[in-house]
Amino acid sequence: MSLDPELLEIFRQETDERLDRIIDTVLAIESATAAEDAVDQLFRDAHSIKGNAGMVGFMAAAKVAGAMEEVLERARAAGALDTELCGPLLRAADAVRGAVEGREESVEAAIAELTGRAADVPDTVAAPEQAPSQQRTLRVAADRVDRLLDAVGETVLHRRRLEHMLGPGTLDADQRLREEMDRGDVLLDELQEAVVRMRTLPLASIVGTFPRAVRDIAANAGREVRLELAGVDTQLDRVILDGISETIVHLLRNAVSHGVEPPEERQAAGKPREGIIELSAQGRGDRVAVTITDDGRGVSPELLEQAEREGSLVDVLARAGFSTATEVSELSGRGVGLDAVKRHVESLGGSLDVWSASGEGTAVTLLLPLTLSLLHVLLFERAGQTYGLPLASVLEALTPDGISSLGGRSSIELRGESIPLSDLASVVGASAPPLPERAPAVVATSSSHRHALAVDAVTGEQETVVKPLGSMLAGVPGYLGAAILPDGRAALILDAAFVARAGAARHAPGPAPAAAGGGATAPEPPRVLVVDDQFTVRELQRSILEAAGYPVETAKDGREALDRIRRGGIELVLTDLEMPEMDGLALLAAIRADAEAGSLPVVIVTSRGSEEDRRLGAEAGADAYVVKSEFDQQTLLDTVRRLANLR
Amino acid sequence: VETCVRVRVGAEEYAIPVRHVPEVAELGDVTPVPGAPPQVLGIRNLRGEVIPVFDLALGLGAERSGEPTRIVLADDGTRRCGLAVDAVLAVADLDAADEPVDSPLLLGAVLIDGRLVGMLDVPALLDALAPDARP
Repeated sequence: MSLDPELLEIFRQETDERLDRIIDTVLAIESATAAEDAVDQLFRDAHSIKGNAGMVGFMAAAKVAGAMEEVLERARAAGALDTELCGPLLRAADAVRGAVEGREESVEAAIAELTGRAADVPDTVAAPEQAPSQQRTLRVAADRVDRLLDAVGETVLHRRRLEHMLGPGTLDADQRLREEMDRGDVLLDELQEAVVRMRTLPLASIVGTFPRAVRDIAANAGREVRLELAGVDTQLDRVILDGISETIVHLLRNAVSHGVEPPEERQAAGKPREGIIELSAQGRGDRVAVTITDDGRGVSPELLEQAEREGSLVDVLARAGFSTATEVSELSGRGVGLDAVKRHVESLGGSLDVWSASGEGTAVTLLLPLTLSLLHVLLFERAGQTYGLPLASVLEALTPDGISSLGGRSSIELRGESIPLSDLASVVGASAPPLPERAPAVVATSSSHRHALAVDAVTGEQETVVKPLGSMLAGVPGYLGAAILPDGRAALILDAAFVARAGAARHAPGPAPAAAGGGATAPEPPRVLVVDDQFTVRELQRSILEAAGYPVETAKDGREALDRIRRGGIELVLTDLEMPEMDGLALLAAIRADAEAGSLPVVIVTSRGSEEDRRLGAEAGADAYVVKSEFDQQTLLDTVRRLANLR
Repeated sequence: VETCVRVRVGAEEYAIPVRHVPEVAELGDVTPVPGAPPQVLGIRNLRGEVIPVFDLALGLGAERSGEPTRIVLADDGTRRCGLAVDAVLAVADLDAADEPVDSPLLLGAVLIDGRLVGMLDVPALLDALAPDARP
């Protein structure tokens, strides 16, 4: 069984902590200094180790922990742990640690010693009225925790206001006051963390049964499947976790039954017999993306085509509870399809996204809200107003040494990389006085895009609850929410993805909108048609070009591309060579033969790198040739920009 | 008879049923939201809650005579926002709004001391104020 290294690390750490505690507690019992609930504690630790070890496949460790659990269960019923058992328990704990680290030689001896010694110890019959306090979980209505959280948030703000009113000078002046404030800081931090922990749990807390479920479903469906986990320590609101557990099992079931092909079919298609399903979680600003990816057959080209026409694969799939398997198997969740999943995720305030490529696989992403989000934000000012960006989205804040300007566009250089620069005011659409000389810049980063924002001043950093702007302002793009500043004002927290997009859109190569106040003579960016039969390649090129400000359309073969070109409006074509229906060279020839579109710039993007191909392409009239193996964003953008300027 | 908050917006008067008004507050520090349409004055921190604030005059198409000074909080059960008004005049029991009006944002109007006071349809008003989602 292969396991995600991150999950393995969590398991190791947790087991280490529990073993340390077991050893401390056993030693305390031996020296008669143990707390009243020491045996309960030991039992719980042994029980948890057993469960976790079994889950992640450390069977030897699980076996030792199981023996410990059994002995401790009896001790708990008896009301005390016989000190005779302390030595064997310590050696068992060491054996567990060894087994987790891959040394299993002491396992059998430790179990034999422990069970042997336990058989010698007489059972004291516990009085029935001395029922041990097993249940240490307190169930609290979620809204009470919410209220507590609000109160803590308020206290944090109150504290910031106090600091603000006192000012740094006062704190320096009065030593006692400063000490008291420091103490308050520590208490507040603890309180905050405690409340946050009450509300959030790692995704790992619900994945325990998934590997087993996948194994069983796969066995039943005649598939060979391995489940991989990634990012399962990502924290999610527990209300949401409770809500998505069954949904995830359903999606895993779909991935096994309808995604992964039977082993023979995979082999015939040149894939490994064993399919891989990955469950991963990743924080995205104030949301968490939970994705179930399989490397199976994907959905049919017909459905993808339909999805492209209608704009949403989710809707196409959800509508009829589509199933790509010809036969719906017993376990595939007949009747409850993606439509139910979609409705459910939406009811939690999230959204559902599906990506698929025929023959390559499918990925279903649940984008879930993190109702509670304590974020570190960087604060900065423009035109008298404070804005923030989550620190996770800030690459750097700096005062640029020099700004290069070209064609009304600015950029700064950061460690050899050129990063486009825009005035924050023009990105959000605020009216503002000109920036000061040597204005500082905040470099925002979102997936692969970087964009620098020029601001009046960078004012600091704050840990804060980002509150949503609410449903009434949901239609206003660009903001994750608002944070409350120490002086009581609300500051807008920017969405880095929006900054990168908006920045890029007003940047290369088009003119800045009127609000930006410059570059009125630069040409409109040309509309680019991307032609490739592979969905991923199309989408990759689309995202690169769109981020650079080009309007992009796509076509999946030469025939479709030609139809689109003849309808007009396309100003530049990027095409693959090998495609069904009509290949790239045929498309190029058809374009060159067309009376209207004959002079359209055409770039060939292909995996073929031979001189012969280059010659064929050039003879057929290609304006440029980009080889996929040397394919990187910059080459592509430079080529497109060069041709755009030649128009 | 319904208890209402009477407000002045420019030269016009409107009434809002108190069951939709949890609170009346000073205008306070309103942070503008660049990119939002003009009826959005901004957001405001009200005891830790972030409230969108709308310009009621713009929402109703009333002549504006001065700067707004107060916020009437409006709540339709699912949404909450601040309506910026020039002045809050009174809280009073008003007769049924049976004077006809041709605005989809009003339930009707009441005649008070010879003045026509429009009774706001809060859910309809909130629908109209919220900007549409843009792609």
